[in-house]
Amino acid sequence: MATPDPGQLALPSGNGAVEHRPLGVFTRPSSSKGWRSWFTSVDHKKIGVMYGAAALFFFIIGGLEALLIRVQLWAPRGTLLTADEYNQVFTMHGTTMIFLVVMPIGAAFANYLMPLQIGARDVAFPRINAFSFWCFLFGGIFLNTAWFLGGGADGGWFMYAPNSSVVFSPGHGIDFWNIGLLITGIASLTGAVNLIVTVLNMRAPGMTLMKMPVFTWMTLVTQFLLLFAIPVLTAAQVLLLFDRAFDANFFNVEAGGDPLLWQHLFWIFGHPEVYLMILPAFGLVSDILPVFSRKPIFGYPFIVFSGIAIGFMGWGVWAHHMFVSGIGPVSVLVFSLTTMFIAVPTGVKILNWTATMARGKLKLDTPMLFCIGLITMFTIGGISGVTHSVAPADTQQTDTYYIVAHFHYVLFGGAFFGFMAGFYFYWPKVFGYLMNETLGKVNFWLMFVGFNLTFGPMHVLGLQGMSRRIYTYDAGYGFEFWNQVATIGAFVLAGSIALFIFNIFYSRAKAKSMANPGPDPWDARTIEWMIPSPVPEYNFDPIPTITRRDDFWYRKYGETEDHMPVRIAATDEVCQSAEGEHDVHLPSPSYWPIVTAFGLPIVGYGLLYTHWLSLIGGLIVVAGIYGWALEPPDDPEAEHDHHDDDHGPVGEVEPDRAEDEDLSESEKEVETVG
Amino acid sequence: MSRFRSPVAKVLIVASLALFVVLWGAMIWTAFEHDAVPLTTLDPQGPFSTMIDDLVAPVFIIGGMVFVGVLGAVMYFVLRYREKGDDDLELPKQTHGHTAAEVAWTIAPGIVLAVVAFLTVGVILDLSAEEEGALRVEVYGAQWWWGYNYDITGDRSFDSDGDISTANELVIPVGRPVELRITSMDVIHSFWIPALNGKADAVPGMHRDWKIQADAPGVYRGQCTEFCGLSHANMRMLVRAIPADEFDEWVARQQQPAADPPADNELAVAGQEQFVNLCASCHLVDGLNNEQIAQLHEDDEFPLVAGVAPDLTHFRSRGTFAGGIYNLTYPNPAGDDSPFGATCTLEDLENCGDPTDIGLAGNPDNPLYRPFIEDWLRNPPAMKPMAAEEGRGMPNLNLTQEQIDQLVAYLDTLR
Repeated sequence: MATPDPGQLALPSGNGAVEHRPLGVFTRPSSSKGWRSWFTSVDHKKIGVMYGAAALFFFIIGGLEALLIRVQLWAPRGTLLTADEYNQVFTMHGTTMIFLVVMPIGAAFANYLMPLQIGARDVAFPRINAFSFWCFLFGGIFLNTAWFLGGGADGGWFMYAPNSSVVFSPGHGIDFWNIGLLITGIASLTGAVNLIVTVLNMRAPGMTLMKMPVFTWMTLVTQFLLLFAIPVLTAAQVLLLFDRAFDANFFNVEAGGDPLLWQHLFWIFGHPEVYLMILPAFGLVSDILPVFSRKPIFGYPFIVFSGIAIGFMGWGVWAHHMFVSGIGPVSVLVFSLTTMFIAVPTGVKILNWTATMARGKLKLDTPMLFCIGLITMFTIGGISGVTHSVAPADTQQTDTYYIVAHFHYVLFGGAFFGFMAGFYFYWPKVFGYLMNETLGKVNFWLMFVGFNLTFGPMHVLGLQGMSRRIYTYDAGYGFEFWNQVATIGAFVLAGSIALFIFNIFYSRAKAKSMANPGPDPWDARTIEWMIPSPVPEYNFDPIPTITRRDDFWYRKYGETEDHMPVRIAATDEVCQSAEGEHDVHLPSPSYWPIVTAFGLPIVGYGLLYTHWLSLIGGLIVVAGIYGWALEPPDDPEAEHDHHDDDHGPVGEVEPDRAEDEDLSESEKEVETVG
Repeated sequence: MSRFRSPVAKVLIVASLALFVVLWGAMIWTAFEHDAVPLTTLDPQGPFSTMIDDLVAPVFIIGGMVFVGVLGAVMYFVLRYREKGDDDLELPKQTHGHTAAEVAWTIAPGIVLAVVAFLTVGVILDLSAEEEGALRVEVYGAQWWWGYNYDITGDRSFDSDGDISTANELVIPVGRPVELRITSMDVIHSFWIPALNGKADAVPGMHRDWKIQADAPGVYRGQCTEFCGLSHANMRMLVRAIPADEFDEWVARQQQPAADPPADNELAVAGQEQFVNLCASCHLVDGLNNEQIAQLHEDDEFPLVAGVAPDLTHFRSRGTFAGGIYNLTYPNPAGDDSPFGATCTLEDLENCGDPTDIGLAGNPDNPLYRPFIEDWLRNPPAMKPMAAEEGRGMPNLNLTQEQIDQLVAYLDTLR
């Protein structure tokens, strides 16, 4: 292999001499402080926070789109939006909420939390992790620039062919949708590889798979789903891109193309997509519920294996989106049955969560309220889901508001309630201050009421025949009353989101005069709570050795023979301290992920406007990849000679011995108590 | 953690939960009210929709019981096991699971679902079975209206002599199964008459079989339910179910080509001329411009996008137009949904329903209601969003009031 020319874009490895910086800006950045560091950070925590912040930003955009929809449907023949505008708004609402809100919030928790739950220093490929985030952000922004360049996509988030062809949608909206999601698809795919490798390879000593927290398990399942689902969507989107940009005929009926091909490809992606949106929330609830029930998750193996079962079965149900497409009675029958039985593992989870609460000591703090909200509201969505699996019933229900009600109970009542629980629960860990509890409870009840008022009535509207994706309806169909209730509900819901955002800033202001909540404000169970809040850059020091599930809890409590908990150590004693010197070797920041990702939307604009621009974008991507590859493996100025171990704190002698001591100490205590 | 036990908090919680209960109670109550909800799926009017309803009812009941069970258990546990104050510090027993219970509640839903599955399989097969003695109709969707070709002669072709074509309103005989062969001219649409059966997608390049049957005379409304572009919301259709003997009379009339307007109706004669000049390149009036339209179909073998518009041969035998979104004639008064048969005259409009209420479909035997059709001819895209500049939908022809009066007079003769 040729030695990189030091005059090129990056510095050769290990050579820290200043004269080797002909392009100074592209030498490896070193600072992890200040606003600039966010652009070059490879720290999984910063990337997780950025995922969350970007997702909340897109959530506000998607929410405003939702309010436009609800105002338009307040009364018959609404005039706020034209038909064309409405079609763009509902398409972008669905696309935004799925690809730019629910998926990235899942990614935010996975990025921030999963490495902490397994006691890792960072993810396996920190720069790829940053690249994933920037791809997601640039893809999302690219998608939304359509609003300023002729209008958003107007084909529905499912973008059925042939309505998505140039003939039926001549504007650029669908191209923005298509290319934007191809870019975010790169984010999901690289992220999936990264997180799978992280879970499988970077767990702390002693943490076997069956000792992992449930959220980490669900992240693993989710990332496998992404790994296999995203390429199918990408393939379909490339076909659509060729149809629209280069006059190919994959979906052109006149030339013998098949519109059902798109449907099969889209839903082979689209149904696993549903599960990869909900499983992270299931994971969060499975970890939060035990903390506030003061007892372990009921039937951990059943919770884990039902999640895995959902992951597998999720691949065998896609055609239930096509019960009315004309796939024939045999296919309908098979997919009807597989869809029914995917309710079994989901039901197991619900019952195990309920049993976790039974005979506990329930602390009804805000995260717990959202968990209970998820269990009950998701159950409604799950049950209406079973009614769709009955294929003949689905021929009445599909493409009506009954479906809209169903998936909002699943994705809002399920996934988003779970995320809210996660926000309130992990806020002190991430930002070092607790959210105001009173505001939090009002937040929950407002959201609970607003959510039910908005989406509950849609069940009735759908069963009484109101179609989806209609920009207006006429008087005389009996749709007025429940639409008005839903619109009122939507504003209540928007109020609850506003209250949440207010609570963030209010609590932050209040926190300045309050003490740090400490590592473990909830008396929690999993190891991310044994490190300081907010989490130091190096996460753990030292990396803990794991002896059992809920390892942190059992450092604090032992159990008698009849499973009664006994305090064996004060929380302070078993938590790590931020004080003292922590000379931990961490991956250096890098410019290249953001540079490489930045080239992609430029390629996209080039495909739409002038192909020369694509060339420039392509060159940026290639230059980014070269710079990335040739970048020195470390910050040239860092002295890393005295440490070749990735996780050795100063003064730690033999990691093995320290771990042994740790282990024997906790086990001894348990035995004494027993 | 701070407590949340002030009276205000209690009021908030109780009010929220009460609202939840009232909301769901009201929803369930109104869902089973069938007055003034013409598209409801819960009031079947034919054997196929009844099969679906009979299947879904027990599923709803089982689902409701499961939900009440889960909600009840959660509520009970919250009340029973919640922390009872700041000094309630004793930790509970650390139960990790109970294998037998978990196996039981894995198997139990499996059994319930197996029962549902068993019922479902039967209905899927019954709904896809062919019907004896059915009337065959080809249904095609087009942006944004529906067309129907009847196989009256029973030779399994839809365009032999004696077969008929119509648009938007499907007339069927009561008590006889109707086999639909559904397809599309452009994008995917979905044909759905909730009272008579579930929906079936109309996919271009594909024919799919579906069936409907009405048990009683009446007007049954429908709506396109697969998103099909700009005016998806305005793509409706309806079924007029009439007794077999009336149906035969209706067919006999439809088999006749359109007659020229009587010479003494000068307005209509002028209107026919306007029609030939302005409308005949897209709309067929059988007996007037067959060759022109046939040529159009020949030029464009699969007439995607352009070149077809609803058949107007017997336009005035329909009560609605523009994809079923406007009344062409006065409807019957509320509560009377007879598909045909006059209930009123222009002199005595009290016996008519409100023509602006599209929930009451116009009755073709009632008088013409002029405002909608005139507005339509004046500026169609203002009445229904269309993309005529892209070859989809009807353009604004900038007609004068005189031309409009003439055209309406002519259309009124197409009985």
